[in-house]
Amino acid sequence: MSALLTCRSVRARQGDTEVLRGVDLELRRGEVAVLIGPNGAGKSTLLAVAAGLLPTSAGAVERGGRVAAAMQKPALARRTALANVELAISWWEGRRRGGRDDRRERAMSALAAVNASQLAGRPAGSLSGGEARRVHLARVLAVEPDILLLDEPFAGLDPSTRADLLYDTASAIRSERRATLVVVHDRAEAWALADRVLVMTRGRIDAQGSPRQVFEHPPTEEVAEFVGFTGTLDEGDSVLRLRPSDVELDPAGPISAEVLRRVPLEDGVRLDLSTPKGRLVTVAPEPAPEVGTVTRLRVTGGVRFPSERAPAPDDPASALLSGADGSRTGTPASRQEAGR
Amino acid sequence: MTFIWQGVREAFSMLLHPTPDLLSILRVTLELVLWATVLAMLIGLPIGLVLGLGRFRTRRVWLGLANGGLGLPPVVVGLFVALLLFQSGPFGGLHLIYTVRGMVIAQTILALPIVIALTATSVQAIDPALLQQAGALGASRWRLGGFALREARIGVFVAAMAAMGASLSEVGAVVLVGGNLEGETRTMAGAILTSLSGGYYAEGIALGILLLGLTFLLAAALTVVQHGSRSAPTSSVRYLSTARR
Repeated sequence: MSALLTCRSVRARQGDTEVLRGVDLELRRGEVAVLIGPNGAGKSTLLAVAAGLLPTSAGAVERGGRVAAAMQKPALARRTALANVELAISWWEGRRRGGRDDRRERAMSALAAVNASQLAGRPAGSLSGGEARRVHLARVLAVEPDILLLDEPFAGLDPSTRADLLYDTASAIRSERRATLVVVHDRAEAWALADRVLVMTRGRIDAQGSPRQVFEHPPTEEVAEFVGFTGTLDEGDSVLRLRPSDVELDPAGPISAEVLRRVPLEDGVRLDLSTPKGRLVTVAPEPAPEVGTVTRLRVTGGVRFPSERAPAPDDPASALLSGADGSRTGTPASRQEAGR
Repeated sequence: MTFIWQGVREAFSMLLHPTPDLLSILRVTLELVLWATVLAMLIGLPIGLVLGLGRFRTRRVWLGLANGGLGLPPVVVGLFVALLLFQSGPFGGLHLIYTVRGMVIAQTILALPIVIALTATSVQAIDPALLQQAGALGASRWRLGGFALREARIGVFVAAMAAMGASLSEVGAVVLVGGNLEGETRTMAGAILTSLSGGYYAEGIALGILLLGLTFLLAAALTVVQHGSRSAPTSSVRYLSTARR
């Protein structure tokens, strides 16, 4: 697959703040890459730079085709949904634009691709948030770009509208001729859309790979934290990061923990737990321990990273957390599979 | 009170039996309003667009000047234009003093800041995300400008109305530059001034009623044009209704 978009050591500023700090990215024809990261990581700035809407302060962006971007806000002109899509086509084609009938046909098929044919005659002002997002998406699909950039296409939608649009988008954006980069916030959205996930933190791309690789084996603690490994156990020479599903309440478990907070959920109770070596989160079925109760638990997974501080030889964490054989990987992104 | 009724009666009589003088006044007034509004729109719209959309260093200064221009004293503008157009003035050779063309120049100068300020304000009110999206889909500057004007059409319409209203009702600059010459440069507002200063109140009231009527008529015409452009089915809607049959 040939690269349609290449960013080499790209730096960019928003006002006085350097938002992109050396981004390297290659987007290949036929693939859908999903960019995720915490707020302020620089995702939208990277998209704007890739679209040519924001200049770089250093580095280079090479585009092997025309880029169309759907910005975060689905701002539509005061005309019908169909006319909005037609307008996008005429912007895109400029003086080379074809006939009106051709534009209409393309606009209608783009609306159909995102299940929005029924919205064609509706004025933009009468569309709901989800409907406006569908028209917004149809607008960029209609121009048939070589490189398609979508900035948070599901932002601000209620869960069911979001899910509907997500599934429609997942099928609509796939094309062998196009390279697509989508910025999302949610891991579930990344799973549904991505061939490749890119995790961005503090202006750099810190991890990339298939969704499974990135979400199961995050390469850094920061990425691990972002992808859901929110619990921490400090083992001295290494730190174990754990997802709620990696922690199980067990009366015979080796770790003692105090319940700090209980939050009822649909499928149980989320418990925030304090152990001598760090804080953990788990989801337990009812009846779950009350706040202030001391309980016991074991960890069933997690990812281990080398600790930044030197290990103390008599660190009790070793006894508390080492596996049955006392082994420690000490390797970033190593997966701790054995139950404890 | 009697003279007010007399004025109303005279207004209807003038309407039913217009004199050549009245027709000349109407012609000059309409000519002045039309040209001054068209020129102010032609010059003011692009400037307002640039000030509304542009991001250059002196933009605020120019916007401030346009806003300040809304309060230009017509008499002062008329005085300066007259001084420039007098036979002995720098543009005396153009022979524009005491002509409708000279009055159009003065009136355009007065209407221009109105058009610029209102256009810039209404263009600035367009959602920046919409303009950014247009840019992200490859819209050229020209197309972006045309699109912004269309999106801001209500503000542009208000600018045209305000420019027209100013041209209709203005007296000071028009009298100074045009000389209020009967049958040549006398407008409705100028004729009212003359009637009142001569003590012909009924005639003044009649002309005033006619001027009001003219103002509402032109405003209504512009509203019909604007409303027509909004309510007429767009080509896409026509296409859809045809496609569904």
